[in-house]
Amino acid sequence: MADTAGLRERAEETALLWVLVAIVAILSLVPLARLLFEGVAPGGRFSTAALSNVLSSATTWTAAQHSLVTACGGTALAVLIGATVAVLVALTDIRGRNAFVFCFVLPLMIAPQVVALAWLQLFGPSSTLLKMIGLAPAMGSRNPLYSAQGIILLLGVQYAPLVFLTLRAGLRTLPQELLEAGLAAGAKPPTILRTIVLPLMTPPLVAGIALCFVSCLGNFGIPAFLGIPGNYLVLPTLIYQRLAGLGPSVLSEVAVLSCLIGFIAVLGIFLQDLMLRRRDFRITTTSNAMRPFELARWRPAVEIALWILTIVVLVLPLVALLLSSLVPAAGVPLTAKSATWSNYDYVLFDHAAAKRALVNSFSLSATAAIVIVLVAVPLAYFLVWRRSRLLRVLNLAAEMPYALPGVVLAIAAILVFLKPLPVLGLTLYNTVWIILFGYLARFLVLGLRPVIGGYYQLDRTLEEAAQIAGARLLRRLATIILPLVAPMATAGALLVFLTAFNELTVSALLWSSGAETLGVVVFSFQQGGDSTYAAALAMLTVAVTIALMLSTLLTGKPARGVLPWRD
Amino acid sequence: MNYLLRGVLLAAALVSMLAPLSAQAQAPKGKLVLYTSQPERDATQTTAAFKQAYPGVEVEVFRSGTTEVMGKLAAEFAAGAPKADVLLIADAASMEALKKDGRLLPYPEARVAGLAAGTYDADRTYFGSKLITTGIAVNTAAKSRPASWADLAKPENKGQIAMPSPLYSGAAAIMLGTMTARPDLGWAFFEKLKADEAVAVRGNGAVLTAVASGEKPYGVLVDFMAFNAKAKGSPIEFIFPAEGVPAVTEPVAMLKTAQNPAAGRAFIDFILSDEGQKLALSMGYIPAKASVGMPSWLPPGTVIKLMPTDIGNVVQNNSANLKRFSELFGN
Repeated sequence: MADTAGLRERAEETALLWVLVAIVAILSLVPLARLLFEGVAPGGRFSTAALSNVLSSATTWTAAQHSLVTACGGTALAVLIGATVAVLVALTDIRGRNAFVFCFVLPLMIAPQVVALAWLQLFGPSSTLLKMIGLAPAMGSRNPLYSAQGIILLLGVQYAPLVFLTLRAGLRTLPQELLEAGLAAGAKPPTILRTIVLPLMTPPLVAGIALCFVSCLGNFGIPAFLGIPGNYLVLPTLIYQRLAGLGPSVLSEVAVLSCLIGFIAVLGIFLQDLMLRRRDFRITTTSNAMRPFELARWRPAVEIALWILTIVVLVLPLVALLLSSLVPAAGVPLTAKSATWSNYDYVLFDHAAAKRALVNSFSLSATAAIVIVLVAVPLAYFLVWRRSRLLRVLNLAAEMPYALPGVVLAIAAILVFLKPLPVLGLTLYNTVWIILFGYLARFLVLGLRPVIGGYYQLDRTLEEAAQIAGARLLRRLATIILPLVAPMATAGALLVFLTAFNELTVSALLWSSGAETLGVVVFSFQQGGDSTYAAALAMLTVAVTIALMLSTLLTGKPARGVLPWRD
Repeated sequence: MNYLLRGVLLAAALVSMLAPLSAQAQAPKGKLVLYTSQPERDATQTTAAFKQAYPGVEVEVFRSGTTEVMGKLAAEFAAGAPKADVLLIADAASMEALKKDGRLLPYPEARVAGLAAGTYDADRTYFGSKLITTGIAVNTAAKSRPASWADLAKPENKGQIAMPSPLYSGAAAIMLGTMTARPDLGWAFFEKLKADEAVAVRGNGAVLTAVASGEKPYGVLVDFMAFNAKAKGSPIEFIFPAEGVPAVTEPVAMLKTAQNPAAGRAFIDFILSDEGQKLALSMGYIPAKASVGMPSWLPPGTVIKLMPTDIGNVVQNNSANLKRFSELFGN
């Protein structure tokens, strides 16, 4: 009898495991495999026509070169800003740390296209803010952001928090004893930074660099707003223009371009791996967070510098965006008489697509968040407590749609769902469901990682006690494990919601009339010349994002290390 | 007597019941699928007004840029499953291309009386719904007011001109085809613009943003965009150049594969009717039927000098023109 119970138990576990494997395979492996297949065998027949067409076209290599230039430049700037701020926040005794971290991380949570729009409103001859303070440049002068330098600047500003977060997590594990030993031996702080901190922090730094590089490479919103008007194309915007202009007939060529981006991204990750493999970076001691560097008379100056950075990077562009959303039309100076709420009125109540987009974005993000958490909890159970090679491959497969640029996933999704589904005969293409699929595939890992972290903090004996008492797997998951990982799972769900709510890259290629998202509507407003409507809608998304982020600060126990803006 | 009388009364009753039924059967109903490249606001207003006139018809709209709409159509034709019944897109060149491929269903009984000559196809396959002209837009703070196309291309305006790229805008493509065919403008005009470092941006929307914000004080822009922005307070003015203006007519047409041809014909009737033309007028456009009036932003007494467009010629030379343009201005 015990045997059959044990067999049933194992059969149940195996069934659940294979269901999860199927889900991850459908979300991650099938689209990417279909993409690779389309690159070498367009339309089902093996041919290198698409491959040779794309690789021999000058436009491809110009765009690839632009991509590399902006990605490397953006990464360099992000590392410069992010690393400096991380060292200052983690290793010195500045005050107001939490508030500063919240403001510094905010650009990461706001959509890249909103960041681009805000900065565009800050510069240029018609900048409402500059006009108010009388510093507007002369008529006919070009907005300096419409250039490669502008793109690099905004990419650096957008992803500096990413480097900051990775490095700060690493700095927390830095053994304070080594730093104190260096200080006691009489070394000055710069020497300690150079000879102790930097070598030990190489893994998190390199991980941050790789993450930043891949994000810059795959970013669509910033080059779309700043590069398209001046015809400065990078690979994601080239794909967007090809697809938007010529429709599904160019899918095989676009698939090759996506594989090219994916290849460059994988190369970056591989280089990271290579750099870390040669030396041993293991740290054997850990200690509590003591801040060894006292700034003394430098402290006020450093704090002021950091807050000036925040004001320049965050506050000024957002204020410019707000002011632009209050003028009735582009180019009108903002005065007490001309200020109007009509843009918000129009966007919230009159414009059919904007209303649909609000509903769509909310429901798609919420659905994605809930479904991902429901999948992540059992999946993490197997990944953490049942080790096997298959599961490690599964983990890697779940990471790929997030690691690779968003356009790659979008093209892959189009290829998979263009024709109706085999058995059910439903077509997901050109509906909201293909966008939901894109979100599920891309953000699965965002919900999975916190839950895995939660499992590591659990004591397995609780679960084993329940198992001995005879509870089956699903029951254990629902009644014991879920309540214990709930804080981490909720944090993961919130992260998924915020990221999906603000994203543009995936939905720019998958949207259709009736299935718009907020990012798409802001983009099409700006492209159609309605920059005031774009500004109004963008401000609304920023308000929702900030409100959600602040609400997490009011709730009780923090899920440590999950939400980027909480210490 | 009673049987006869009863029989006649019954027959009369039946006939009187059937008459409204048959009238209702004649009124179009069901689903109408419209693919359009009008701005979102106009598409919503047009479909709402049409539904008021023909309450039995449920309209399903796909709205996007001209290239996207044509791309979607092409994909559907390739898959053998076109979904659209009627099209209302920006320019006659795309319609002409569809007509050549035999995709359009002629509507010989369409009421074209009163429509400006040249705005509808001679074979009655597509009909222009309004007149959208392309002229010169200037920021009110600009140094000069060019009175003609030749004035715009003067060397004094170097680095200060924005124009919509014909590679992305249907109206700009027609403008390119029309102007390059004229002896007084031709390709020399565009080469002068290039020498003036004119920027070809993606779409009329970007030109409006550039001119209204002051980045490029002079622009080539469609009339209604400039006037709508001006009405909201934007510092922009529109000038009809002396040589004349190229125009697009935003034609409406029905596909041969339309699933609901009765509703399609009703839609075309609506667009060409006085009601539909007055709707175009109220949305700020110059209507194709001059008898319904002129928009309020047009100074009374303005004579709009339309540049004649040989649409067949334009379509034939389109790809060669686009190629030459992209070589001149960069891709």
